[in-house]
Amino acid sequence: MGSNASIMLQQEDLQNICQQTGFTTKQVQRLYSRFKTLDKRDCGFLTREDLLCIPEVNINPLGERLIDVIMNDYGENNKINFKQFIFLLAKFRHGKVKASTTEFNTRECKLRFLFDMYDRNHDMKIDRNELLEVLKMMVGGNIHEEQIATIADHTISELDKDGDKSITFEEFCKTLERIDADDKMSMKFLS
Amino acid sequence: MPNRPFFDNLGTILLLAIVNTLFNTICIGLTLWGFSHTSLYGGTHFGMLPCFVFAALISAVDPVAVLATFTEIHVNDMLYIVVFGESLLNDAVSVVLYRMFDSFAKIGQENLIASDIILGCLSFFVVSLGGVLIGIIFGVVACFTTKFTEHTPVLEPLIILVYAYLAYLTSEMVSVSGILAITFCGMVMKQYVSFNISKKSDATTEYVLKMLSSIMETIIFMFMGLSTVSDHHSWNTGFVLITLLSCLLFRVIGIAIFANLANCWRLLELTRIDMLIMSYGGLRGAIAFALALILDETKIPRKKEFVTATIAVVFFTVFVQGITIGPLVKCLNVRRKQIEEPTMSAKLTNRMMDHVMTCLEEISGSGGSNSLRDKCRNLDRNYFKRWLLRETPQEKMDIKLLQTFKKINMQSAMKVHDTSKGLVPAPSSSAIHTSVSGSNLRPESTFANFSQLLAANLPEQTVPDLMFFESQGAEQYRDDAQMHHFLDTNLYRARPRAAIHLRSQDETAGSGEANNRFEKSYHHRNHIYIPSRMDKEQTHGRKSGKTGSSGMTRSGASKTALATQAHDNTHSPRHSASSVPKQQHTKGKSVSPIPHKKKQEEQSQEQLGKTRSKSPTLSTDQPLKPPLPANEVHQPSPPISIRIDDEETDVAMGGATAAERICPWRRSSVPDASRSTSASPVNDPSNSVQASSSNVTDPHIHPGPLTSAGFSGSYNKSSEYMGEYATTTKPEEHLQRPHIRDLFANQSRIPDEKQENDTDTVSDDSTTHL
Repeated sequence: MGSNASIMLQQEDLQNICQQTGFTTKQVQRLYSRFKTLDKRDCGFLTREDLLCIPEVNINPLGERLIDVIMNDYGENNKINFKQFIFLLAKFRHGKVKASTTEFNTRECKLRFLFDMYDRNHDMKIDRNELLEVLKMMVGGNIHEEQIATIADHTISELDKDGDKSITFEEFCKTLERIDADDKMSMKFLS
Repeated sequence: MPNRPFFDNLGTILLLAIVNTLFNTICIGLTLWGFSHTSLYGGTHFGMLPCFVFAALISAVDPVAVLATFTEIHVNDMLYIVVFGESLLNDAVSVVLYRMFDSFAKIGQENLIASDIILGCLSFFVVSLGGVLIGIIFGVVACFTTKFTEHTPVLEPLIILVYAYLAYLTSEMVSVSGILAITFCGMVMKQYVSFNISKKSDATTEYVLKMLSSIMETIIFMFMGLSTVSDHHSWNTGFVLITLLSCLLFRVIGIAIFANLANCWRLLELTRIDMLIMSYGGLRGAIAFALALILDETKIPRKKEFVTATIAVVFFTVFVQGITIGPLVKCLNVRRKQIEEPTMSAKLTNRMMDHVMTCLEEISGSGGSNSLRDKCRNLDRNYFKRWLLRETPQEKMDIKLLQTFKKINMQSAMKVHDTSKGLVPAPSSSAIHTSVSGSNLRPESTFANFSQLLAANLPEQTVPDLMFFESQGAEQYRDDAQMHHFLDTNLYRARPRAAIHLRSQDETAGSGEANNRFEKSYHHRNHIYIPSRMDKEQTHGRKSGKTGSSGMTRSGASKTALATQAHDNTHSPRHSASSVPKQQHTKGKSVSPIPHKKKQEEQSQEQLGKTRSKSPTLSTDQPLKPPLPANEVHQPSPPISIRIDDEETDVAMGGATAAERICPWRRSSVPDASRSTSASPVNDPSNSVQASSSNVTDPHIHPGPLTSAGFSGSYNKSSEYMGEYATTTKPEEHLQRPHIRDLFANQSRIPDEKQENDTDTVSDDSTTHL
């Protein structure tokens, strides 16, 4: 498929996708129909506006940020086609059982995704500003700058082992040891 | 009982309650009867039907025992609700089976014909559905009754109790399941009655019922204990042992079979450990005992053995299983409700994951049982709420709030008066402010300054800060705790996800109630769903009470925007550049490298969470306008101008501490003493919901889907949610750059009081805890 995916899902593509991502054919088909539902103009790819039309995404504090990440990291030119869409979603398959883990949905991938939500300039570090942004998104507007800043600093100091005032991916993962990120960041895909 | 997990897991619960109980009964009955042919019982003979009667009464899991045990061990909600739900709903089955076999025994085994058995099976449906129906009917009648009790709030707890008991009596009278009736009556009441009744009645009902239920449980078990030492026993070792073993064994087998069956369509699978806990948690209790006692000895000759065996089983399950299930849960590492989160970063990341995953679930369309729930919610909103709730709940709420706020202010004024010890004269704190500037803060190093900050409290007002006097040590821990608490109160809560979230309940135990609380408050306003935003604009200028609040909310949002703008003056060029195509920002975007195009709905949703307004601050906003970049001023100004007219509608509340009660994350101290916090009470919650969405007079706004306002209800602050009632941060505060310690200090104080008086009423979100 290219950036303009064909409207019908080809059989070999289907097999390919299933193999790579670990989805079953039914799941892929279901996701495909979902993709088509979202793709209102029927042009084979989703844009930001399509995704923003989903009400839940719209009101989610991190919705915009998520769409940024999706569009920039998984799609191109503000478009995401079905293949990219499904590779994105493959990350969130529940990889509890060893057999169902492909290269896509390892725990590391999920955490990486989360890390990318913070780290928009892709320098492999979360610095104070990025943290501050995300914090502000999650907390809302009625908070003093100082409060947020203090929290951000506190968070960084908790995580930062090498003292460079920014959080690398390893430090980030360490935080999440206690939380079962794999479970939390997995979705059940209905088939 | 958490409603939402109950309905999410309803399929599993029903499967277990009905089929599992049936399976258990049959198996145990057959086993017992089978063994009576052997010599294990020492020669006493048990007929088949008596065995089945006994099996019917012994296989039912008891809700009382389960409730008592599982609440202690704090397992995750899903596990809890499955076991508890099963124990509630199996009443129908066990009652039917018991009665059926009992009447068969009376008829005599030889006289049974096929139609008896068929009728017995049919009676199951009658019993269960009849119970549910009666419960719902009484619940609805109770709701309807409370619709009219505005002027007689004293009656309300009585109404609730009476109707619930009536439901039970009526259903027992017609021989349907009383427990089911009362359960569903309670569920219905919870949804609607709590809106209708006054705050005091709600609190009263809650506490009275808790007390009564504790008393009753105690009495039941006491009675059981007493009758143990009576002399109506006949100990039959073989029988008791076989009973015990078969109960345990068949429970395990039954759970194994049916839980695996349920896993086929469950979103969140039950693991083996879950199954183990479920089978281990199948405690028998007082129902079995009571049923055993009322056996008719003439028809069932072995009654004494049955009673003895029942007591033995109940004792064993309650004592042995009940006591050891706690350590078992710990040692098996069953997912529990995590009460606190260890680190700030973990908490943040947790919340972030929630948000991300709800979003992704929505994108991928795998939202679980959401569509059905949405349909129910729509039905609910359109019909039930209209009929069952009182008229114009918002206005009522406002009046209530006014009164409550008056009371708060009185009390806080008294407190200020009384605690002269805590009053600290406030020198100019600007010098200390600069040392704690937010930009380069290493928390550890600045904590040393905090004691100084505390000493130099706030310029204009002395505030009793008792914490300062109480604990001089471990400042850092305290600050941590305060920060944690601050985060808790301010982070958005994600909409609970149907699938995974239920398992790892690592939000506080109050998350369910928090969501419910918000949904309650949201539902109040929702039935006056404002169709168009422009109408809102006009209606703002017209009506008095409502308008004031709605105008205030908008102006509140604008003020917040102003405040943040003012604060970020240095970054304003960036701001203006990035904000031109957008709506008002409620957050300083000073550090954002990428201009975020926030859409209106997201904005409105933020404002929903935090629309606060204070009319008196309005006057202070005016001088702020000049420093702002021009292109931002034009947005806030229309609301403000309208707003000014309505100032007189605000009731002067006074008392900074009232503000701090309302929004604990805000410092109280600010030159608020003279200002009224009246904005909050008059702040019309419904308008805040829709006003925020209608906050836009901005032509730039991308016309997103209208329903976002409907969805915005699902986002809320954590359990201290009080969006509509809180007040804005005033611009002066930003200018003063408040102390870090004080930023967090007051929050930790006030919410302690809140935690004590936890009720579920809507109007009490901010004003409850007095």
